[in-house]
Amino acid sequence: MLNIVFYFQVHQPYRLTHFNVLDIGNNAKIFDERLNSNVMRKVSKNCYLPTNQLLLELIQKYEGRFKVAFSITGTAIEQFKLYSPETLDSFKCLIDTGCVELLGETYFHSLSFLFDTNEFLDQVYMHRELMQKEFGYYTTTFRNTELIYQDRLSDIIYEIEGFKTIITEGVDRILQWRSPLYAYKNYAKNLNLLLKYYQLADDIAFRFSNRDWPEYPLTVDKFVNWIDHLTLAEKEGKNLFLNLFMDYETFGEHQWASTGIFDFMRHFPDAVLSKSHLGFANPKDVSRLANYQQESLSFPEPVSWADEQRDLSAWLGNEMQQNASETLYELINRIKEKGDTDLLRMARLLSTSDHFYYMCEKYFQDGDVHKYFSPYDSPDQAYIYYINALTELEERLLR
Amino acid sequence: MKILMFTWEFPPLISGGLGMACYGMVKALLSQGIKIDLVLPTKELVYFPLRDEGDADTLPAVFIEPEKQIEYTRRAFTCLSERLEYIGVTTHPESYFNMSEIAEYSNLIKKHYELSEVTISEELELLKEMTAHLIGDEDLIRKVQEYTLRANRFAKILEYDLIHAHDWLTYPSGILTKQISHKPLIVHIHATEFDRAGGPGDPRIHKIEYIGMTYADKVIAVSQYTAQMIMSRYRIDSGKIRIIHNAFTLPETNLNNKKRIFIGPTILYLGRVTIQKGPDYFLDMAAKVLKVHPEARFILAGTGDMQRQILRRSASLSLKNRFLFTGFLNRKQVERILQAADIYVLPSVSEPFGISPLEAMSYGITAIISKQSGVAEIIHHAFKIDYWDVDLWAETINHLIENPEECRKIGIEGMKEVQRIQWDEAAEKIRQLYATTLSEFSEQRVE
Repeated sequence: MLNIVFYFQVHQPYRLTHFNVLDIGNNAKIFDERLNSNVMRKVSKNCYLPTNQLLLELIQKYEGRFKVAFSITGTAIEQFKLYSPETLDSFKCLIDTGCVELLGETYFHSLSFLFDTNEFLDQVYMHRELMQKEFGYYTTTFRNTELIYQDRLSDIIYEIEGFKTIITEGVDRILQWRSPLYAYKNYAKNLNLLLKYYQLADDIAFRFSNRDWPEYPLTVDKFVNWIDHLTLAEKEGKNLFLNLFMDYETFGEHQWASTGIFDFMRHFPDAVLSKSHLGFANPKDVSRLANYQQESLSFPEPVSWADEQRDLSAWLGNEMQQNASETLYELINRIKEKGDTDLLRMARLLSTSDHFYYMCEKYFQDGDVHKYFSPYDSPDQAYIYYINALTELEERLLR
Repeated sequence: MKILMFTWEFPPLISGGLGMACYGMVKALLSQGIKIDLVLPTKELVYFPLRDEGDADTLPAVFIEPEKQIEYTRRAFTCLSERLEYIGVTTHPESYFNMSEIAEYSNLIKKHYELSEVTISEELELLKEMTAHLIGDEDLIRKVQEYTLRANRFAKILEYDLIHAHDWLTYPSGILTKQISHKPLIVHIHATEFDRAGGPGDPRIHKIEYIGMTYADKVIAVSQYTAQMIMSRYRIDSGKIRIIHNAFTLPETNLNNKKRIFIGPTILYLGRVTIQKGPDYFLDMAAKVLKVHPEARFILAGTGDMQRQILRRSASLSLKNRFLFTGFLNRKQVERILQAADIYVLPSVSEPFGISPLEAMSYGITAIISKQSGVAEIIHHAFKIDYWDVDLWAETINHLIENPEECRKIGIEGMKEVQRIQWDEAAEKIRQLYATTLSEFSEQRVE
């Protein structure tokens, strides 16, 4: 069988206000409630609600043969409650079908793994608790922020009870001649690894509506035909995994409804399930399905799913991002020493990786995806507001 | 005595020290009975007949076009800012521009030097040269062209004894007006292109500065430093130059009223972030001080073409959140940041005068200023250091952080000193210069 594994990332950050030096010490709001609520309402309307409805219909129609996985961050759940409770309810309906796996991650969608192992563990436990509280779901597959992964991560995750599988990017420089369709083991051979098949995942997530792309328009038949011809190995009885990992906002937000993305998704399962050697699976199924010796893969350096480089440069590539993250984690430690829970929560909201993404200059001139996602005029402005916000927290700590 | 005054900045139309200097000067001159018709780069074609001290704040305006004047007087404005907005005085001088009139510019200038009664060939040469240099497509140059075009109208319809023009942007207007009216011209040097550019600068602007100073009857320099500069770099006849130091008008709010933002010692740079002002030296001293006093905060207040570079360097030096950027600040915000600072630094590479330290000192902030500044000539209760001596700047800041009581005392002494330096004194010198220029000028005419 070739199992198609859909995993969708659901995340919204708490965006900052245009926080200036003169706002420091005035108890001014650090987070832009209006902007955050507007974004949440817009994305719920364009993406979360209609896509959840569609997936629910598909799951019901195929009676267990169609499955998807989600990773939903703590900051997204909080903002559903604040600005769009019906969205949270619709996720609950989906998860109640039993065909949806929830993945574990950091509550705040942070880069804490790279800076502070204790803080990382705190955030992972917070997220697991949240999934249990909101959905009654116990997570057993882990995905780190932006699919950032390296060997050391698997050591930490292995120590946490319950996690059996980690998912990450199928980076060419690690895979080399190997195929991302197989289930692998981490370097210590104690966890499963599933790797994103980025060519096909990105055909949907990034290229679907791109008229300059030679394959435009992407039809269900064409896409399933590609999948059908990926390999012959599944015909030998091996269970393979085609991992289509993407932002959930692909549906209706990055690719608008008018591009036909919803129709594509509506008809995709039918075409897949009409072929006897194709099916759907969840990441957690890998433990049960892998029916061959899983090769172990070593990731000495961190990888991620971002940009062409698939490394950390989108969040930590320039001096502003580095200075900002060093300042944050130093402050988090000082806040913990003092035991101020309110400040700790605010600092953690500032640990969300998006804040660093806004400071990225890599493609800023080209008006690329970074600019699309940023609520600020420039990386410099994003940096200035962020540093000022940290300063506000620090001054509150000193008082 | 009535003066026709050209300036590019006047509150609320300000981007730097020029506007505040003109304001203090005009107010003090008005109080001494001088009448001033002020011309600013406004959107509408207006001038400001200033007669009493209070006029410097209310800015009564007169439209040149009678129909517009009627419409203007009929209109009821609820507040000053609404009225100023109507005539196109905004907080940024950029709002002024009218493409349609630009084409007329070169024709007009040509006509004036060809048809006027100028007989002295030297003057003719100068005018020709200036026209040749006031050419360019940049926004600013175009604005200067239009401003000059308008000066033609003011020169003819207004009555005045003397023309006073501030900085190069208004020199073409001053020259044209003198040409038309045969009244004496005083040009006022607040900064030269060498100061602004921190290097050779724009050769067109040098030429305009040179021609303006050459064509003027008198040149006011804001410091000995500037006088030296215009003698050595522009070869201006020293007999024409008068040094009149700028002063500072104290704000009316209670100044001895510290409102901290930061718990730690706060060191402030306040000014444009350009090479002239030495923001890179500010960063260097911050990096040194923060090694000893990580509790200090350095605030870079202002904007400019070097901000991007300074921002990145401050991050790569890992100065954490100890080196902050305010961006552009309006008047109120400047006052707010001054109330929050302990130490003010002005590490300018070249500062003809520098009014900002006087303002900072008026808030009781201890000032450390570059020796390469005009203001260093007149104040005593401040530290003066060569802009490049970063170690000494850092040591001095460390010393002040470690001795807060001493820092406070110097601040108070500085505040008292600034209160004595008032515009009245400078205005009196300007008034005397007006009088002597007029009498010299009429003697020349008689001869």
